[in-house]
Amino acid sequence: MTSIRKNKFFMAILYILVFFMLAEWLTPVIVLTETGHQALFLIFIAGGLLMAFLRVPWWFSGPIKVLYILWFVVYVYTGNVFFTGEAIQFLQSNVSMNFSALISQNWEQTTDVFRTILFFVLLWMAIYLIHYWVSFRSSIFLFYILTVVFIAVLDTFSPYSGETAIVRIMIIGLLLAGLLYLVRWMESHQISEHADKVALFTVPLVLGIAVSTAFALYLPKSDPIWPDPVPFLTSFSGQGGPGSGGNVGRIGYGVDDSRLGGSFIGDDTPVFRAEVSEGQYWKVESKDTYTTKGWELTENVGESVIYRNNETVDTEFVLGEELETTVVSMEQEFPFVLYPYGTESFSMEESPEYQYSSADQRFETYQNGEELEPEEYEVSFAEPSYSLKTLRQTSEEELQELPMEFDRYVQLPDELPERVRDLAAEITANSETVYDQALAIERYFNTAEFTYSQTDIPIPKEDEDYVDQFLFETKRGYCDNFSTSMVVLLRSLDIPARWVKGFNEGELIDSQGETDIYEVTNNNAHSWVEAYMPGVGWMLFEPTIGFTGSSSIDFDLELDPTDPEQPDPQERPEAQEPESAEDEEVVVSSQTAFWNRLTDYISTNRWKLVWTFIVLGVIGAILFKIRHRWMPKFLISYYRMRGQEPVQFEKAYLRLLKQLELYGIHRKSGQTLKSYAAYIDSFFGTREMSELTAAYERMIYGGDAESIDWHELKESWENLINRTSG
Amino acid sequence: MNAKERLEKVIDNIEKVIIGKRDIAELSIVAMLSHGHVLLEDVPGVGKTMLVRALAKSVGADFKRIQFTPDLLPSDVIGVSIYNPKDMEFHFRPGPIMGNIILADEINRTSPKTQSSLLEAMEEASVTIDGVTMQIPKPFFVMATQNPIEYEGTYPLPEAQLDRFLLKIKMGYPSSREEMEVLNRAQVAAPIEELTSVISLEELLELQAQVRTIKVDETIRSYIVDLSRQTRQDAYVYLGVSPRGSIALMKASQAYALLKGRDYVTPDDVQYLAKFVFGHRIMLRSEARYDGITVEEITERILAKTHVPVQRFVGK
Repeated sequence: MTSIRKNKFFMAILYILVFFMLAEWLTPVIVLTETGHQALFLIFIAGGLLMAFLRVPWWFSGPIKVLYILWFVVYVYTGNVFFTGEAIQFLQSNVSMNFSALISQNWEQTTDVFRTILFFVLLWMAIYLIHYWVSFRSSIFLFYILTVVFIAVLDTFSPYSGETAIVRIMIIGLLLAGLLYLVRWMESHQISEHADKVALFTVPLVLGIAVSTAFALYLPKSDPIWPDPVPFLTSFSGQGGPGSGGNVGRIGYGVDDSRLGGSFIGDDTPVFRAEVSEGQYWKVESKDTYTTKGWELTENVGESVIYRNNETVDTEFVLGEELETTVVSMEQEFPFVLYPYGTESFSMEESPEYQYSSADQRFETYQNGEELEPEEYEVSFAEPSYSLKTLRQTSEEELQELPMEFDRYVQLPDELPERVRDLAAEITANSETVYDQALAIERYFNTAEFTYSQTDIPIPKEDEDYVDQFLFETKRGYCDNFSTSMVVLLRSLDIPARWVKGFNEGELIDSQGETDIYEVTNNNAHSWVEAYMPGVGWMLFEPTIGFTGSSSIDFDLELDPTDPEQPDPQERPEAQEPESAEDEEVVVSSQTAFWNRLTDYISTNRWKLVWTFIVLGVIGAILFKIRHRWMPKFLISYYRMRGQEPVQFEKAYLRLLKQLELYGIHRKSGQTLKSYAAYIDSFFGTREMSELTAAYERMIYGGDAESIDWHELKESWENLINRTSG
Repeated sequence: MNAKERLEKVIDNIEKVIIGKRDIAELSIVAMLSHGHVLLEDVPGVGKTMLVRALAKSVGADFKRIQFTPDLLPSDVIGVSIYNPKDMEFHFRPGPIMGNIILADEINRTSPKTQSSLLEAMEEASVTIDGVTMQIPKPFFVMATQNPIEYEGTYPLPEAQLDRFLLKIKMGYPSSREEMEVLNRAQVAAPIEELTSVISLEELLELQAQVRTIKVDETIRSYIVDLSRQTRQDAYVYLGVSPRGSIALMKASQAYALLKGRDYVTPDDVQYLAKFVFGHRIMLRSEARYDGITVEEITERILAKTHVPVQRFVGK
């Protein structure tokens, strides 16, 4: 009996799965401790597992691992790729340093090198443990459960997002557990390794996991029934500011802004590249309704306009004078175009319909009635320029005369605390014009004691207001906090304002003459403010400290150069720019966006889908019920394709038995094949069944497979199996 | 000439004297080929003796007959040592058991002591007298007959003794047509006298050796074991088939397969022989008698419900 453990291929698959499982452990540790060199750690794990798999003796694998660890230390801490004299010296000094630190019990004096080596030793032990579990115990369940718990805990209590990791772990873990169960089962039943039997088990296993995973992903997920434990725990332990705590999200462009707040970790996945003469803010859409927790869009307002390639579009902004063209190459899939301020027209190869919705100023792209995710497109735009002179004439009186459709831009929730309104009035006490008021609010965040931060940002509780919390309590936050606050402050003064989402200019990665190439990543997801200046139009404002977006102002005033009010675009504080000059929104990466669209699709076409399933189910049931009618045709061509080996005859014969059973000729438990065959032959008036049975018996009971001429017998077999379809 | 042809010749030869009992002839040969012995249970006069004599003549074997009577002693069966005053030594005078083919007629008429002396000789294929063990010449084949035990004046064979017989066969009466044919032949002459041997004793020994080479697949072995175990679990059964019974069924099946010209045993062989192997090995509880259940019915039932292996064992 050859055990399945002897099957190198099978065991290799197990070890590969184990590798991925260990990698899931390593990744969060590396990410959270900002360790770096993940690839080198993975190589160590892979190498360790490979040697365990090949059963390399310990006296050989041990020194190799030690050498690798030393090389890693030398490479990472000294930059030497080889063991040079310097490297040896480095190692020596480290050994003596750490040794003396240990002897004198000065634990904190041990160096990073020592800790790195300890970490490697830990990995080494983990590899050995897993190897033992897989190869000797054939049981991985405990490790599997521990992994799930580990990732779940990290996902809850740390910035690490286990969203996709947990799915991967479930799949890998189920596969591993299933395959190892197969090993145990086959061994306990003394079943030797046989490709057919293994397939009989693994195919349903893989299918089952695939189907259940797909189902789990497709199905809509309910919100957690328990509140997030982190805010509770941090408030309990006295950490964080008032109302501190909140979810840690990953940065990126998202669609759901109904609940703002929470912390972020960066994500430098590229979103698009733009060839442009100068960095631009890329608008996606705006939202108009503030809910005290976040932003929503009023339904059924505005209208849709459909534009074609190169058709002049109206984005409610006055175009500037210098028209230029930018090429945008998308790296993620969005069913809309991102556009800079002053956009004049779009053009792309697919020549889609650009459906502009005045409700949120989004340009959705459609082709043949279906959403199109642009890959590359050109935008002609002329950055708007505003006359300072005109801006200085914007008066509050004009605000009263604005038409009805501006109402939604001055909406504020009734629950808005009064001190927010008071603050707005206070900030703008000395401002004469609407533009000055807006400018004062924009600058307020620079002057007051606000700090830019992506971490430890609370999500407002049920009775708290997002803006109020930021303006009066935490005073720390990122773009959403600043932009939302500015919109609310403007609105409290009856200045129409809206909250705009998109991406900031991104990172300059290359320059070709006049044209610069900017790469915009998820880190560049951003939000800012558009305010309506009566008599001028909509205008961009950037309240978030450290960000450089602004409207271009035409200094057409003859002013006293000492006038302190003189706006100077240069005064924007570049120095304060946070290290990663970017901001973020609640996560919805492009993958989750895909699933969202899918769930949308499912919910809109629910009945269609249900009926499709019912019809398919009924057809399937009927086909199954009458399978003895069509099965023979299928079986005949199937076994024609198969080889002439006796083993095929064996399978075919057993198939025939099943077919006859389906046909209704039942073989009793104690009936021998020979007597059954005699009955079949008398029933059909044939003698083929006896002929086949004699051959089959010779093969099974006589162990004489060589004498079977399946080619000869096939005609008889086909003849019989055809009769069963009657 | 292969085994099947040779054996068919023997059967054809027997059929010349025994009309319409081909299956009985086959079973006798099966028992002889697998070193077993046969218990023929039937009323007198149906041709039991004739069958054995025909068989002995066909294989050219030495035929002996022991008529068991209540006063028969063990020494009458196995022989006796007699003191010879001339050379002042005991000389062994072999009994009728020292032959190739023995007909032990009406074995249940004699005392258990004499019965067991025969049965021991059957099992060991040797006899021991005064500390001297003597081999019985090969081939050695005993065909014992007994009247149905309901008859008066019989000593029923103990269970352990019955186990020594490979097969228990019932001759049964011939059909009317067959019986007319019997009369027809008997009118002319005793046909038994005209029989000549068709195979030699050496050939018979060779065939016996060949039986052991017949393949018994694992599936068949498990089927045999399943059947035996079923007899031990049946509610009506007081004593089921012993492992020796399983061995007997396997050996008989091998011989039967050889007879049918196959070099492997099929479930059909096992099923056919199970009735003859199990018949005298199953002791029924008294409830069975009240319910009118016979051993034959129990065997049939077990055969019907025990799953016949039709696929190779997993892992082969």
